[in-house]
Amino acid sequence: MLYQDQSLPIRESIALSHPEGISAFAKAGTWFTGAQRLAMLSEARQAHRCSLCDRRKAALSPYSEKGEHDSHGDLSDNIVEVIHRLKTDSGRVTQSWFKSIIETGLSAEEYIEIVGLVATSIIIDGFATALGSELLQPGDSVAGEPDRTTNEDVFDGGAWVPMLNLAQEMTETGLPSGPNIFRAMGLVPSAIQHFFGVMRAHYALADLDFAISRSQTELIAARVSSLNQCFY
Amino acid sequence: MLLRRSGDRKNETYNLNALTDADEGEVGVSDERFLLRVAEAVYAENHEALAAIRDEGRGILGEQALVDAIAVACGFNGITKVANATGIPLDEATENNTIQMRKEARIDDYSDSHKSVIYG
Repeated sequence: MLYQDQSLPIRESIALSHPEGISAFAKAGTWFTGAQRLAMLSEARQAHRCSLCDRRKAALSPYSEKGEHDSHGDLSDNIVEVIHRLKTDSGRVTQSWFKSIIETGLSAEEYIEIVGLVATSIIIDGFATALGSELLQPGDSVAGEPDRTTNEDVFDGGAWVPMLNLAQEMTETGLPSGPNIFRAMGLVPSAIQHFFGVMRAHYALADLDFAISRSQTELIAARVSSLNQCFY
Repeated sequence: MLLRRSGDRKNETYNLNALTDADEGEVGVSDERFLLRVAEAVYAENHEALAAIRDEGRGILGEQALVDAIAVACGFNGITKVANATGIPLDEATENNTIQMRKEARIDDYSDSHKSVIYG
C-alpha cells in the first residue's frame, strides 16, 4: 500500500496517481528509454548534493560558476545540466541558458521530456519528503523503445518552445480552458499526460476538494511560485 | 494572481505585496503564517522544518488540511519548474488584468527580460 508508513490521511487521488506517476519513469517515453528515464529520476534525487549547484546557488549569477556537476555519470552532460538546474535553481533559468542547452545538441522535444520528468519527480518526491515518508520506488526499467514522434499540432505562442495548439474558451476562473501552463509541454503530449496525471491531485482551478479554503490554497501556491521566482 | 481573484470573489482584499516582501506585513489569509511556513519548508526541502510542521500542523490546521496544504505546496513546487523552464507567457486575460498588481508586487522582476539583465 502507498505511504504505508504514514499516519496522516492521504487522499485517494494522490494514493492512485503517485504510484502510477513514479512507475511511468521505468517505461519508455517519447524520446527516452525506461532506463534513461530512471537514470534521470536518480539524478534528480541526488542533485541537491552537487557542489557545483551549491556554488551556483551562492553566486550572484549562476552563470559565473563553471565546472562539472557531481552526477551518477549515467547521462550526458547537457542532460545532467538541465536536471540539476531545474531541481536546484530553476528561478534563475533564462532563455539564453535554454538556447545554450539546445546548441549542445539536445532537441527541444528531448528537453521537454526531461522538464516533465524532473517536475513530476519534484511533486512526488517532495510530497513523500514533506510527510517524512520513504521515497516511492519506480521498479526496474521496462524494455521498450521510445517512439520518437514529434507532435506537429503546436504553434509559436511566445514561449521558448512551441506550445500545444488547443481550441480555447474562457472559463469562469478567468483563465482559458487550456492555459499556457498546460500547453507548455505540447511538443511531447506524453509529458503533459504524465505530469498533469500527478498534478491534478494537487490543485484544481475549480471544484477544489480540499480541507483548506481557496484563499489558503492560492496563498500557498503564490508563495511557492514567488520562492521559485516564477513569472507565470 | 489567482489569490487576488479569490479575494475578489469573496469581496476581500489581500495584501499581495507581502508575498514577495516580508516587510509588507500580512497578506490577510487565515492561518497564513503557518501556511507560508509550509510553502517555504517544502520549497527548501528542509527536513527539520518539515518535521516541525507535521507536529504543529495537526493542531493548527487539522490532519487533512495539513496534508492538503503540503500537497498544494508540492504541486506548485513542480509546476513552477515547467513554467520557468519553458518561458511561457502569461495568459492573455491575466496579462491584461494584472499590470498594476505585478508592478506593485514586483512579480515583473521574475520575467525573463529582467532575469536576463540580472543573471546574464
